[in-house]
Amino acid sequence: MKLKKVMALMLTLVMVLSLAACSGGDNSNEGGTDSGASTDTTDTSSESTDSESSDTSGSSDVALTVAIWDTNQEPGLTQIINDFTEKTGIKAQIQVTPWEQYWTMLEAGATGGSLPDVFWMHSNEIARYSEYEMLLDLTERIKSSDVLDMSKFPQEIIEIYNWEGTTQYAVPKDIDTIGLWYNKTMFDEAGVAYPDDSWTWEDFRAAAEKLTKDDGSQYGLALRPSNNQAGWYNLVYGKNGYIISDDKKSSGFDLPETIEAIDFFASMSKDGLMPPYEVLAENEEHALFEAGKVAMIMQGSWMLAELCNNEYVIENADIAVLPKDAETGRRPSIYNGLGWAASGNTEYPEEAWALIEYMGSEEAQQKQSDLGIVISAYEGTMDNWTGAYPTFNLQAYLDMMDDLVIRPYSKTTVRWENMANDKMIMAWTGDKTAEEVCLEIATEMNALLAEE
Amino acid sequence: MSTRTKVKGTNRARSEFIWGWMFILPTMIGLFVLNIIPIFQTIYQSFFKAGAFGKGNVFVGLDNYRRMFADASVWQALINTFKYAVVEVPFSIAIALVLAVLLNRHMRGRSLYRTIYFLPMVAAPAAVAMVWRWLYNSEFGLLNHLLNTLGFDSVNWISNPNTTFIWIAVVGIWSVIGYNMVLFLAGLQEIPQDYYEAAMIDGASAVKQFFHITIPLISPMMFFVSVTRIIAAMQVFDVIYMMMDRNNPAFFKTQSLVYLFYRYSFVESDRGYGSAIVMLLLLVIMVITVIQIRMQKKWVNYN
Repeated sequence: MKLKKVMALMLTLVMVLSLAACSGGDNSNEGGTDSGASTDTTDTSSESTDSESSDTSGSSDVALTVAIWDTNQEPGLTQIINDFTEKTGIKAQIQVTPWEQYWTMLEAGATGGSLPDVFWMHSNEIARYSEYEMLLDLTERIKSSDVLDMSKFPQEIIEIYNWEGTTQYAVPKDIDTIGLWYNKTMFDEAGVAYPDDSWTWEDFRAAAEKLTKDDGSQYGLALRPSNNQAGWYNLVYGKNGYIISDDKKSSGFDLPETIEAIDFFASMSKDGLMPPYEVLAENEEHALFEAGKVAMIMQGSWMLAELCNNEYVIENADIAVLPKDAETGRRPSIYNGLGWAASGNTEYPEEAWALIEYMGSEEAQQKQSDLGIVISAYEGTMDNWTGAYPTFNLQAYLDMMDDLVIRPYSKTTVRWENMANDKMIMAWTGDKTAEEVCLEIATEMNALLAEE
Repeated sequence: MSTRTKVKGTNRARSEFIWGWMFILPTMIGLFVLNIIPIFQTIYQSFFKAGAFGKGNVFVGLDNYRRMFADASVWQALINTFKYAVVEVPFSIAIALVLAVLLNRHMRGRSLYRTIYFLPMVAAPAAVAMVWRWLYNSEFGLLNHLLNTLGFDSVNWISNPNTTFIWIAVVGIWSVIGYNMVLFLAGLQEIPQDYYEAAMIDGASAVKQFFHITIPLISPMMFFVSVTRIIAAMQVFDVIYMMMDRNNPAFFKTQSLVYLFYRYSFVESDRGYGSAIVMLLLLVIMVITVIQIRMQKKWVNYN
């Protein structure tokens, strides 16, 4: 009897403990080894109580967790991080979470106090993280750094990650531009000249008409309504319209220029120059392009690794600048730039900062471009980027930098952007006119902006 | 539960009482930490306009509920959820029952068939949805390829607003048949063989036996399966999430309540409104379950 009781008690204890262990395991996202901070860093790690308390064991086995969302960039970034580890002795491990789940993961991490140590930030999401002080304040560290020169980065990208002009929460990583991908074989077959910098949007549409076959085997263009940055935003700004006013208080969807621009693409969809909407909805633009279904797509420079390594694309396609607007003569490229940020309650703030500092250094930025990962944000480091995929005319992406417009954002970008994308479907399918859709979006967006 | 029974002064009774609680403690802790407490937190949350990261909540009273009642997409999502359940539940039960009866007989390769039907249950739901998504693809999918070779036109399986819920439910049925079948098999094995022998002597056909012996005697299991299946079907999320995106023209007429909850709570970080939506779902499920429990007297046979 006694033995039974003891056994039962032990069993119960084991179960309770394992339960506790399970929930503990979910939350400890703080990287592989957690025994002590590195002593190899250039800065002393004695400022924060966090690192002091974990410094006692004295081993140098820190492994930072680095969260990103783009698999295509993982191999290149791993090389750069290896350089960093060689220099400083700080190890870092990249974890890729796809874009759709990345922000859910990050938000859960922030709520539960277990953000990754270092991670990518985006203009859509930075506001909440800044407002609630979830990120490591980099302002002073940047000022006292002799490696990092913020004046070399585009001012607009720095501003995205600057909270109310006082606190800098991230260091710019890259910038992106938009290019026009075209299928040379289809152009040759249809007897249409390749796109060049003389193209206007009217030429673009005329070419799309010629490239569309009646039997539905080939279409001129694929552009989903959700492709705003690489798609219809560019024409909106090309016509001197806008999405959000400079003071971020009112929507620009009710401007005649904006409506005209959206109608341009919506009617290309309605007139059958794009695949039927169902096909467009079920397949991504680049997949249709890679399958030889469409002759043209508009894609950002971040898509290079995907497209330039595709055999069909290598064989048949090339890149040109976007068309310009005939009236205004503008050829804007909506650009954005990611930032490197660190968790506000990381156990290793100095190590995390060391990594961010290195990522923003000229050396790492140069390497990022040279490897063709993305266009680096650091002034003067992008020229070698064109050499990463010599068979393609990557120069087109750099030429697009002459008229850069920052991707529209506000504190609640995701809410109005998703709402606009949802409504835009009706314009693409032709169930509503572009004007009706735009006016609806403007009303709702103004209401959302008023709440900010 | 026996919490209210008076504990008698004897040592033995007290010790049994304590040990009884000790044994269910791990489950109780899990239930409280993972289910009960979150339910009340969600109710609480639904009266707030949420800030990010669980901070900065502003009390707004019933505003979230008012907004919900005026929101056409919520009602559409409720209808969508019902449509899904109406297709998924009866078919998954009927097919599973027939399969269970067939596989309950002595036949060659019985366990092989049982394993095959149960396999979808073992596969990860996300992986299942991805495979079906490719089968259904209107442009490159296998199903349309087959239709085309047979001379039929392509079908927009998962982008036709009027029919998509059916094809989504087909995936649900396919995934859950094996699980229901195993439960029915367990129920069938409880039925004494004597009944069938007696019926055979009386000259009852196999169909008559099925309707007059099998169905009544398996009705408790059918009741259990239908209650749990309806609850699960009302909570459908993964298949829809994996197979469609917001560009899809059928999305508005297919998205479920749980999807809306996910979207507001986790994508647009509007936790308060998301919580209100999930409270509606909780209420609907409770009402349906209560009705089912009331109705069981009419058709469920407990010996």
